[in-house]
Amino acid sequence: MTGSTDLKEFLAAYLVEAEEHVSSANARLLALEAAERSGTHDPKALRDIFRSLHTLKGLSAMVGVEPIVGIAHRMEAFVRGFDRAGTAPSLQATDVLLKGLQAIAQRVAALARGEAAAPPPPELLAELDALDAKAGPLAERSGPDLDLEPELVAKLVPFEVEQLVRGIAGGQRGVLAEFVPSPARAAEGLSINTVRERLAAVAEIVRVLPRALPLSPESPGGLSFQLILLTQAADEQIAAAVGVPVASLRPIRSGAVADVPAGAFPDASVPFDDGDGADGFAAGVRRGIVRVDVNRLDEAMEGLATLIVTRFRLARAVADLAARGVNTRELADVVADNARQLRTLRAAIVRVRMVPVSDLLDRVPLLVRGLQRTTHRSVRVELEGGDAELDKSVSERLFPVIVHLVRNAVDHAIETPDERARRGKPEEGLLRISCRARSNTRLELTVSDDGRGIDSQAVARKAGRPVPDTAAGLLALLCIPGLSTRDVATTTSGRGMGMEIVKRIVVDELGGELELETHVGTGTRFTLRVPLTISIVDAFAFECAGQRFVVPVSTVDEIVEVDRSELVQVPAHHGGGPELDVILRRGQAVPVVKLASIFRLDAAASAAGKAIIVRRAGAPIAFAVDRMLGQQEVVIRPMNDTLVRAPGVSGATDLGDGRPTLVLDLVALGTTLNAGAPAPRVVA
Amino acid sequence: MTLHVVFAIADVEYALPVASVLQMESFTGATAVPGAPAYVLGIVTVRGRVLPVVDLRRRVGLPPSAPTPDTRIIVTELEGRVVALCVDRAREVIDLDAAARQPAPDLVNERSAGLVHGMHAVGKRLLLLLDLPRVLSEHAHDHEPRALLDDETHHRPALPG
Repeated sequence: MTGSTDLKEFLAAYLVEAEEHVSSANARLLALEAAERSGTHDPKALRDIFRSLHTLKGLSAMVGVEPIVGIAHRMEAFVRGFDRAGTAPSLQATDVLLKGLQAIAQRVAALARGEAAAPPPPELLAELDALDAKAGPLAERSGPDLDLEPELVAKLVPFEVEQLVRGIAGGQRGVLAEFVPSPARAAEGLSINTVRERLAAVAEIVRVLPRALPLSPESPGGLSFQLILLTQAADEQIAAAVGVPVASLRPIRSGAVADVPAGAFPDASVPFDDGDGADGFAAGVRRGIVRVDVNRLDEAMEGLATLIVTRFRLARAVADLAARGVNTRELADVVADNARQLRTLRAAIVRVRMVPVSDLLDRVPLLVRGLQRTTHRSVRVELEGGDAELDKSVSERLFPVIVHLVRNAVDHAIETPDERARRGKPEEGLLRISCRARSNTRLELTVSDDGRGIDSQAVARKAGRPVPDTAAGLLALLCIPGLSTRDVATTTSGRGMGMEIVKRIVVDELGGELELETHVGTGTRFTLRVPLTISIVDAFAFECAGQRFVVPVSTVDEIVEVDRSELVQVPAHHGGGPELDVILRRGQAVPVVKLASIFRLDAAASAAGKAIIVRRAGAPIAFAVDRMLGQQEVVIRPMNDTLVRAPGVSGATDLGDGRPTLVLDLVALGTTLNAGAPAPRVVA
Repeated sequence: MTLHVVFAIADVEYALPVASVLQMESFTGATAVPGAPAYVLGIVTVRGRVLPVVDLRRRVGLPPSAPTPDTRIIVTELEGRVVALCVDRAREVIDLDAAARQPAPDLVNERSAGLVHGMHAVGKRLLLLLDLPRVLSEHAHDHEPRALLDDETHHRPALPG
């Protein structure tokens, strides 16, 4: 492994780490602001912010991203002033700090796209400097002298200088070591990361500074790392940890030992004792956490998908052999073992893809904060239950849904403080998002507000439809494409904007459910139930008019034999729709539609001997099909192209014959039928 | 000079820049998708990916025909969409000079509902350039073109080989 590889790996890790620190600092700043509004102070949040900024700066200096170093440095100095004084920044200062974080986030995003980070905007630096000056003597830097090259000292942040001086004053020794990565070193198992790990056992790593070297046989990567350490261990131990001769270590002495009275750096060692700046990577390694690009997970999933398809083919070949009278018992055992192992492997990969819901929810406060500004609402956010986990791809799809619901709640549902006061409500509105795993397969997420509720009459008027008498009916109206727009939303009661998109993602794309509960004057609650994972599901395969289909087991209520004599044909009012029968099922009349006639397949070729019963909004509906082919795990591949997007079809799968088989969403198909459309689109 | 894939539908030759072509495969049938436009044959799996297949014969207003061993699907990519086109045959890649491209005469443009947006004369052959975004536009089925370029409106190029 060469030095340049080391650096490249660093960059990937840097981006992830930097993003985390930006979002954590964002969240803490908002917490600080909330505390400030309620008249309390949250010193822990302030320290966390300091630590994030400090780490951001250290990491950025390490990979040479000067613009971020510049911004983080000023923010850090400013925040430290408050930390020392034990007070919180003003609301105005919080704004500037948020702007600073945003500027850092933009630069991190640019680096992730492979672009260069833009220099810091001068007006931002000016604002930060103005804050820094206002913070006054608190932000003053101490300049104890260290027996180190000035250019090295210049790369240290004040806190690190303090850490060194204090450490040395406290009886530890300062040591400068240098590690030069090379393929030979890598072969011995020595990389900068292993060196960090080994050092962590014997020393405190104050700072790791990369340094460019001329290319030579000793430094094939043209790079070295200077390690600034505090330790009580012997030089031999340090040298062994770094893998260098003892003679190459250099002591670091502090000229200011005598001048450092206790308490000269109040609190410095308390909050930051484990916040060892650029050392975040090593911390990650120590915890045994590996960060993986989601594309690599997708590759693994893809590989698994092909394995599952191969297993179907194998099972089919074995069945063929058995049909020809071959004794396949042992082979069948192997296939069964294989199936079990694949299930285990699948579960393992699925687990790796899970991310905590808090990743989603943590972004809500920042969103609400921005909305409050533009809408002049005052809103308190309550988040609950973010430790449930769901698949990364579900999480990504869900985020725009949450954004829509939150935006609607703040923008339209929650009244202005004046109006709330008039109605006898607390001036501050409440937005609550809670979530919990409802089963092994579903996550329930609710977004509720204590706003004005939805006026169904106004919505109906706008939509030109009759007033719905149920919440489900109202929801259906809200989700009509094109209803939306501000005028409905603002004049009535607040919903509509984006509800069509919410429904499309939750119901059509994720195969979930969406519910609404609203009370005029008191508030609205949306409940979403979505699968924790998508892509691989248990499904029934069946045949209809010579074509094979599958339907996920989870959507099926029941599968029944259809006895033609039990069917009662319903007279068709307006011609054109598929013929409709009714069957009595435990005393309940269940409509039966022939899948062949809905799909315009060759109905004559369809025996319709079985019916698959699903429930939509509680009411059962039966789809008559020819015969069931069995139950198996299938890999669902999305069919996203508009040319083949059709209600009732949620994707495709491969049953082992190399051809795609359609995966049906009979619940959605039932809903389409209910809406009066005989078929999604007329097939010529 | 730009490389183009040359393919034929009912003996009329068309060209597509290779930049928009991912691969070509033989065609063994598609899975029909209920509710899809009539000119969509259905879906196929190509290298693990599920793709819609547009029957270019029907897309240009010709009657469908049964697949033959020559039938090919051309997998195209357009703004992130990947869609397969089913054509009667495709076995040639040709270098075309952009300068030699001629705009489609108004009548051709009109009769083809804008699907043909240019032509190339190569020796005695005439290659029609397809407007891929229009071919793949989802609203296209609302106004399918009449049979494209009957004998009267173009001179039928000689078949190679």
